[in-house]
Amino acid sequence: MAQQRLSIWNAEEDLEEDVDIGIAMGNYGQNVQYEESHLQPQIDETTLLAMQQHMAQQAAFSQIPDVVKSFIVHFHQAVLENNLAEITLAYESGWNKYTEKFYAKAEWPEAELIAPLVNDDPIFLILYRELYYRHVYSRLQPNIDDRFHSYENSCELFNYLLNSDGPVELELPEQWLWDIIDEFIYQYQVFCTWRSKVSTKTPDELMMLAEGGPVWSSYSVLNVLYSLMQKSKINEYITAQREGKSAEEIAEIVGEYGQRPLYRMLGYFSIVGLLRVHVHLGDFTLGLKVMENVELNQKSPFTRVTACHVATYYYVGFCYIMLRRYPDAIRTFVTVLNFIMRMRQYHTRSYQYDQISKTADRMYALFAMCHALSPSRLDDNIANIAKERYGEQYTKMSRGGPDALPAYEELFLYACPKFITANPPPYDDAAAINALINASAEEESSAAASVTQAEPSQRHLELFLADVGAQLQVPTLRSFLKLYTSLGAKKLANFLDADEEELVQEMMVMKQASRSISRVAGMEGTSLLEGQMITTSDMNFVIDENMVHIAESTIGRRYAGWFIKNTERTQKILDDLKSMPLPAPAKASAPTASTPSTGDSTVQNKPVKAGAKVAWGSVKAA
Amino acid sequence: MTSEWLTPSTRSELIENLVSGVDRYNPSNVGILEDYLYHQIRSEEYDCLANLAILKLYQFNPDLYNPDVVINILIKSLTASPLPDFNLCISLLDERPINSQLDEPDPLPSILPLLKGLHGLLYRCRFPSFWEIYNSEQLSVLRDNYTVEVAGFENAVRAVAIRAVRATFTRISSQRLGSYLDLSGAELSVYIQKLGWIVDASTLVVTIPPNPDNQIEAIVVQESVKLPQLTKIIAHSVAKA
Repeated sequence: MAQQRLSIWNAEEDLEEDVDIGIAMGNYGQNVQYEESHLQPQIDETTLLAMQQHMAQQAAFSQIPDVVKSFIVHFHQAVLENNLAEITLAYESGWNKYTEKFYAKAEWPEAELIAPLVNDDPIFLILYRELYYRHVYSRLQPNIDDRFHSYENSCELFNYLLNSDGPVELELPEQWLWDIIDEFIYQYQVFCTWRSKVSTKTPDELMMLAEGGPVWSSYSVLNVLYSLMQKSKINEYITAQREGKSAEEIAEIVGEYGQRPLYRMLGYFSIVGLLRVHVHLGDFTLGLKVMENVELNQKSPFTRVTACHVATYYYVGFCYIMLRRYPDAIRTFVTVLNFIMRMRQYHTRSYQYDQISKTADRMYALFAMCHALSPSRLDDNIANIAKERYGEQYTKMSRGGPDALPAYEELFLYACPKFITANPPPYDDAAAINALINASAEEESSAAASVTQAEPSQRHLELFLADVGAQLQVPTLRSFLKLYTSLGAKKLANFLDADEEELVQEMMVMKQASRSISRVAGMEGTSLLEGQMITTSDMNFVIDENMVHIAESTIGRRYAGWFIKNTERTQKILDDLKSMPLPAPAKASAPTASTPSTGDSTVQNKPVKAGAKVAWGSVKAA
Repeated sequence: MTSEWLTPSTRSELIENLVSGVDRYNPSNVGILEDYLYHQIRSEEYDCLANLAILKLYQFNPDLYNPDVVINILIKSLTASPLPDFNLCISLLDERPINSQLDEPDPLPSILPLLKGLHGLLYRCRFPSFWEIYNSEQLSVLRDNYTVEVAGFENAVRAVAIRAVRATFTRISSQRLGSYLDLSGAELSVYIQKLGWIVDASTLVVTIPPNPDNQIEAIVVQESVKLPQLTKIIAHSVAKA
């Protein structure tokens, strides 16, 4: 345990051992293989067993449809040749196609079973298992063996990438690289959630968890992500690029690993992965801090993988909410929601479309909350969609008062990330765990809450609701103040049926709520945590002893946007018209007088063109 | 304005490396960060990110957990209101396993609700109630064991009130200001004088100097057309010419 911990900060020199230890600890799966292949000669029974197993395997092998076998062979070939186009095809379409067809409700064939098809290529088998387990997690219910084995397989994969002699030759599509990181964190998150529910565990599971060691421990997950970042020198790469260094200089800075697209993209994705892990663990500042070198704009390399792009903005936006920086959260969501809308026609076919639209839906919910807390006119389009989807809740939230809290709670729980507890319940301490199980059994029988480890999202919800609760009076106050340019505090208190001193204190809250730290223009390239105090409300007020003075900023009507949009539209219509083939009236009128009419139409056409030319000419001359 | 929060000028290079590097995960560094916390407490400094790094280590290594440190961190973050520091600290306090072996009973479960209550009052600008509750008999356990050690704690609370008053008022009665600061008479006069605010001798009304937040103006925002908005139209015309 202590050794395992050492790894994360001892940076590079210790990296070699790090992941090895992870694998050594997770040797659970290796035992199984061991029984199968190595113990054969000595005992008859074992031989018999092995033979039976062998026959069973052959039977299972013959069950695999031929198209799937040839798909696997083909896939393996593509990976061997580093043929990105073919790998992408197999990965994005083939795998999903055969999943739908044959494995919608069952596991893909075990890696051991298809091993002969790929000459026992260990690397391909690791990649295959990566897909195999991901399929189990997404379509089926993973059991404890799946959970342990998928961890072990991830370790093997990262170990191969990080601890081979020098960078590996393997190339994988960017989409897959992102999925590897994303899935790794997802499995960690679901493992932690599953692990925290003590009362539902069978004795076998309890035993395995007690001996699980570093399996899916927070330290080992962070270790992988930091190692990938360090190996690829991704932060150095981003900095060098921002400073406009030449390709040669950058190559020298990032070294032999960082030059390879595989490592560079894994480095990028690990940064986003870290952001996500920190959010799951409730560390919103650290989440934004690890992103400090990444430019959050549409040109950034991580936006090339849509799922990554969307996830990044979701987690960044959520961090801003928890930092009470609602304008920043709004801007973040608006940017990416607009992007998703524009991209819709392209990514409906993507196998990740479902996931992306689910995340988008949650972001609309978060946007609605932020919009109620800090009304702005950043993007009417997105605001309208959000109000359409969450109309009822939005009305309650923006009205404030006691009805608002349940609406906030509902949307927060729907849209927040899954929070996890960093440490397991004390599985390694039999007495303590039994006490927990008994306690939860008692609680259940007494019909009380049956949670053993309190749901971490409740803690974050409570904090958020406390923040929001402080602002519940603001919408009411605002609606009153809007009617006046100056008003006595006592009179206002009477309107609200409140004590004058209470009211004055509430006004300070209102002032506070109309200020926020936010990023401003010119901050590009600085940490996402940087910001300046800005005013978020169009209504401002000040108290002169006991008199409230109010001033409202209004936005003059905007004409330019309308004219620009319509000029552009007209230009397009004109272009379209010009490029259309000439109308056919010439033919229609042909029978009566063919020569004059054609002559006519040319005559009619000519002046138009000539006219246009003249007009341009005269403009130039003028 | 956030740069001082992100990197306080009082932060040493050693701490900076811990806060910004992977060394922050090394449990053996917790002592350095804890010492730094106690330094902050003695010398009225504040470094939120460094303190969060301690809580992060506690989150990952429950055996390091030291309730007194946690309470002191929360007390320091209390007076950062209206910044979310207090909540950020609470976010990192994972549920503690019930078998945690401490020599003495853990004071945090009883202190935490008190601190949350105080934070709520500060965040909701209920300054008179804050003082009333803070000075109550029930909270003597917090005052006598903890805040008494935190240099300038009460002045830090007053600074929270001053921030709110400065943004909201142009003039405020001495009495009201005094109730926010828990000061009266000569003490109050000295405090106001230190702020550089002016008291009218006859009416005892305090004038707050103009600042960006307490000056209001009705503005009509006019649209301004920027060149990039027109590029498409201009480009189109040029292409046709």
